[in-house]
Amino acid sequence: MTRYECFEFLAPLITSQLVVGSLSGQRVEWGHLSQHEGNLLVASMGNALGIGLGLALVLPHRKVIVLESDGSLLLSLYNLPTLANLNPPNLVAFVFDNEVYGGTRISQPSATAGKTDLAAVARGAGIERTLTVRDLETFKQEAPQALAENVLRFIVCKVDPTVVHREIQRPTIDQQEHKYRFVRYLGKTEGRQIFLGRG
Amino acid sequence: MFQGSTPLSAYTALLPGFQDALLRRNLFHLLDKRLVFILNVLEIMEEQLAKKLVDGLREAGISFVTFLPETRLSQIVPLMQQDPSFQVVPVANEAEGVSIAAGAALGGKPAASYMEGSGVYVSSYNLLVVGKRLGVPILLIVAYYGSFGDKRNSFLYALPGIHLIPILESLDIQYLVLENGDNLEAQIKGAVRMMHAIKQPVALLFTGEFTV
Repeated sequence: MTRYECFEFLAPLITSQLVVGSLSGQRVEWGHLSQHEGNLLVASMGNALGIGLGLALVLPHRKVIVLESDGSLLLSLYNLPTLANLNPPNLVAFVFDNEVYGGTRISQPSATAGKTDLAAVARGAGIERTLTVRDLETFKQEAPQALAENVLRFIVCKVDPTVVHREIQRPTIDQQEHKYRFVRYLGKTEGRQIFLGRG
Repeated sequence: MFQGSTPLSAYTALLPGFQDALLRRNLFHLLDKRLVFILNVLEIMEEQLAKKLVDGLREAGISFVTFLPETRLSQIVPLMQQDPSFQVVPVANEAEGVSIAAGAALGGKPAASYMEGSGVYVSSYNLLVVGKRLGVPILLIVAYYGSFGDKRNSFLYALPGIHLIPILESLDIQYLVLENGDNLEAQIKGAVRMMHAIKQPVALLFTGEFTV
């Protein structure tokens, strides 16, 4: 199973959900497959889960999907106890764990290539509905269910390390423009102004 | 228990217990009346400042606050938690406090992150890549420990306190140092207006009377 295959399945399922992504190959791959205006690809490691949590807390009627990676999550493990205790039912976190720092020129193994089990870490932090998915068929069963349920889900997807993202054109949209596209989409779908202040 | 030579710190250590009216009344008979009066006045002043700060945040439109507990401004937390105007979120690390506040701001709630000065160091990466690069308005409510006005200053706090403003300046984060409650509401409003105007984090550094 590759991350790109998972994304190819997941992207058409996105309708009004908000999708927060982190960095590296997944930003390039998701940006290539999904033109959804509710995408917020924050382009940094260690921030997607926190930003997604903030969105989920203030928009309890919206589903928030967080696309994380093993490297990014390992940088921000402090998110897990906070996520567990706040327990937002409208958040689904997919962690695409390829066991390497795949954005680097020579992919070095991450801790999950060794002894670390991110689903077990999440479970230990207090997140009840955790799962590790190891094949595409299981992903295709679990992902739609996670989107439909009103419960916090934390799904670690064990994927093969690939370099697909290096063959895809990188997003040309500027990050500020990307942010404002998201904010305008949210304002339009929520029927209110998101950013305040005098014009 | 309470002898004439008992140091003041022994009495002040009991200050939280003074919340209990019965205990307060009993202690009143045990302690010197003047000392009780001084302690009560100090307590009231802290509460008044904390209330003024929280009132200022509410009037400025802040409605979402992340926090990692610290000492100096700690009285604002229960006040905000009791106030339905605020969604108050405890965090494990100031870095995620900034990211979660950013998510709330991007979701349409004017957001703040309350932290000790050390939190600026811990969250500097998040402030840079989310607050500055992505461009998200967040009000940083910072207990300015280790500053000249910090009444709790010691070797523990002085060094990180000395470097706090250079860190903010290197991140190009606008800041204001507040030493007392004079004009507090207007200054908070000004900071919130600034964060909305530049769509970036803005810091309020609290020292002096806020560090009792």
